[in-house]
Amino acid sequence: MSRRSMLATAGASLAGGALLLQGGAAHAQTSAPRASPPPRRDWQSPGMPNRDYRPVIVPNGTKLPWKLVNGVKVFHMVAEEVEHELAPGLKVHCWGYNGQVHGPTIEVVEGDRVRFYVTNRLPAPTTVHWHGLLLPNGMDGVGGLNQKSIAPGETFRYEFTIRQSGTGMYHSHHDEMTQMALGMVGLFIMHPRRPVGPRVDKDFALMLHEWRVDPGTRRPDPNEMTDFNLLTFNAKAFPGTEPLVVRQGERVRIRLGNLSAMDHHPIHLHGYHFRITETDAGRIPESAQWPETTVLVPVGSTRSIEFVADVPGDWAMHCHMTHHLMNQMGHDLPNLIGVNPGGLDAKVRKLLPGYMTMGQTGMGDMVEMGMPVPTNSIPMSGARGKHDVITMGGMFTVLKVRERLTGDADPGWYENPPGTLAMAASPAELSQDGIDVDAPPKAEPASPGGLAHG
Amino acid sequence: MRRALFAAVLVFTGGCASIQKEKGHAEVAALVEERIGRKTRWNQGTPEDAEVSRHLDTLLAGELTSDRAVEVALLNNPALQATYEDLGVSQADMVQAGLLSNPTFDGSIGFPLTNDGVSETEFSLVQGFVELFTLPLRKRVAQEQFIADTLRVAHEALATAADARKVFREVQARQQLVELRRMVLEASEAAAELATLQHAAGNITDLDLATEKAAAEEARLELAREELTLVEDRERLNRLLGLWGGRTAWAIAEKLPAPPEEEATLERLESLAIRQRLDIDAARKQTELMWNALELARSTRFFGRVDVGVHTHRDANGPRLLGPTLSLELPIFDQRQALIAKLEAQHRQSERRQTELSVNARSEVRAARARLLTLRGVAERYQCVVLPLREQVVEQSQLQYNAMQIGLYALLDAKQSQVETYRAYIETVRDYWLAHAELEQLVGGRLPGGSHATPASPAPTQPPSGHDHGATP
Repeated sequence: MSRRSMLATAGASLAGGALLLQGGAAHAQTSAPRASPPPRRDWQSPGMPNRDYRPVIVPNGTKLPWKLVNGVKVFHMVAEEVEHELAPGLKVHCWGYNGQVHGPTIEVVEGDRVRFYVTNRLPAPTTVHWHGLLLPNGMDGVGGLNQKSIAPGETFRYEFTIRQSGTGMYHSHHDEMTQMALGMVGLFIMHPRRPVGPRVDKDFALMLHEWRVDPGTRRPDPNEMTDFNLLTFNAKAFPGTEPLVVRQGERVRIRLGNLSAMDHHPIHLHGYHFRITETDAGRIPESAQWPETTVLVPVGSTRSIEFVADVPGDWAMHCHMTHHLMNQMGHDLPNLIGVNPGGLDAKVRKLLPGYMTMGQTGMGDMVEMGMPVPTNSIPMSGARGKHDVITMGGMFTVLKVRERLTGDADPGWYENPPGTLAMAASPAELSQDGIDVDAPPKAEPASPGGLAHG
Repeated sequence: MRRALFAAVLVFTGGCASIQKEKGHAEVAALVEERIGRKTRWNQGTPEDAEVSRHLDTLLAGELTSDRAVEVALLNNPALQATYEDLGVSQADMVQAGLLSNPTFDGSIGFPLTNDGVSETEFSLVQGFVELFTLPLRKRVAQEQFIADTLRVAHEALATAADARKVFREVQARQQLVELRRMVLEASEAAAELATLQHAAGNITDLDLATEKAAAEEARLELAREELTLVEDRERLNRLLGLWGGRTAWAIAEKLPAPPEEEATLERLESLAIRQRLDIDAARKQTELMWNALELARSTRFFGRVDVGVHTHRDANGPRLLGPTLSLELPIFDQRQALIAKLEAQHRQSERRQTELSVNARSEVRAARARLLTLRGVAERYQCVVLPLREQVVEQSQLQYNAMQIGLYALLDAKQSQVETYRAYIETVRDYWLAHAELEQLVGGRLPGGSHATPASPAPTQPPSGHDHGATP
């Protein structure tokens, strides 16, 4: 059973229980003193999973559970310190919600009334800002501006009606430089009450984020403003990212939210043209949707893309900023490309046994060297793929499209049908096509006045 | 009568007249050996000297140790050999003090100036008399002077031994410092080589290349300076050991040892200094000597010269006369009061000097011991804390290097810092041993419980073999 279906079941049974109790509870509530008069009932009956919406899939993530009280979806969020594994072999102390980094994804339906109790178990005050949501000013969560910050040990209540659909986010808005850098962000999915656009079969939600975790340390550095060294999808750096698993022919939506400190992320999907169908503010009219292969997700924004996964395979999806495809890498390394160390290694080994010059041909070799590294650190890049080492890390995941699926679990590596896999050319092929590999390479001038080469 | 008198004089003087060449030095050698367990020798051109020379060659052929260096210095230090001659001078003075003043022979002949006279002859032999009684006292004073001189010479020998030990430690440390300086150069050279390779590949600027090369060249010059200091230190030791020619090719292979397990208590060191320091002993002897000299002067203050003798006289045509003579100095004006006052003042002065020496000795021992303990603490801190931390910095730098967090330059910087720390440690251990030798000298002998322990901790990674620093001339 997948996590998604389990959560949906739990949500439904909670809702059922609440409905049964509603009569008695309603009576009790009328006599109970309330801090403020109950707001005018401007919300609809709560939207239920699998009835009113198909729940999103959050790879590597969790969802925030709720219960119904008098037709209001009640959530309890606990801001606290969390130990989190950013990638296999790299555990850090973060700040998150309900034991999770990032915080669990919140899923609601347009028209719902939602009530959030936020308990602060952090050593510092905090607030929650509901990023991109339309709500009363006093619920917007900017510490000092809209409310008093929630002191350690205190619990605050936020309550509002969902008046829109689309992808929102939430994050701390008190000392946000520190608190967001330590992970206090999450996704806030608002499904439309009635379906909008073509029905999607798989709806993935990914939060983009960036961190600074020096090798050998155990806490992200919130003071870093430029030189981030861990870039994540749902707080996981490759090879820690779960793949997005899809059956061939399914319509797929991928929601991308970016709460990185400083960087926009051009997310590139291989194998398909997709359309950007939603931004923070809602659905883009079909007439304004362009075919794209890369979607730029600016800091503080969300974008949703949609496409039909009609070509099977293991398709890379990643941020196209090459540095964002690296894990913990130092950026002050001497440039050694094209350097032949010659006798240097032997000389240095006299002083530093075990020394070896690295990087003369780039970073690719690093992946497989297996040299001892500081504790609690991961290689800059790389994991073994089906054919070889994948020399990427960071903001990288795989869209796995298969003709048949037995479940939502990772189906393993794609088996390329014969004749559809690039491989070394045989001498027979080369001679048949008249290719002389030893001949000087040729190129023709592409402009009328250009110089011929070769 | 005449015969008997001569015989008596001869018997009296006979016992004291001879000079013994080895006298005095044997005492010095015993004092030195008792205190530092090493023999010393006075080379006086005897056949045994050749044997000493052969012994020197065997001492120098093997690996030179601190004890061997001390032994060579005691046998061969030219200044010390010159000081030993003081013993000869002092001994001569002592023999002199035991000799009676020579008898005086007077003779006169008178020739008549007129024809009626005959020539007249007169002879006398006169010997100072009081000397016979004061001689033992004078001898004692001279003997005490000789003993005091012996102590002073032995003290000199110990000072030379301490100097040899100190300079030996300096050479020993300098060799290690040179070796470490060479490691710093190797690290700089590796960085410069990397820069050259990077520059050839088009990856760094002329500025970066020049900067790295300049750093390597400076490291090379630092090494040259350090190597010169080693040569100078070796020459200091050569001077102390009195070596020249082929004998200067000695080598020290042993590393500077770590400080011993324990240090002696302050009370013990102070009492040891007072008990066995030879300069204090010499001062004590000097005071006694002044007292005896004073006694001598006091006891003879009313004795003037007393000369006794015989004289013979032959008058012209008279009989030949023979008879004793007596000549008495009458101490009416000079009763040695000036001499006695001077000696009294000198005696008091000597007492004061002795007190000063003792007070200073105790204070110097305390200061030297404080220095020793502090240096020991610093050395231990280096060994137990700072060096392991530096080691860790290098280890962690290597891990960071492996993780491509830092480059070779940063890695080599970490190594250089480690080597510099190790140099500071070696300098501290050297200073400890200098203070140790100083303290040994101040207590006048070996320190109790001062076993020479294991070598100081090994260099940061084995230094490359094949560098023969010891053989540098």
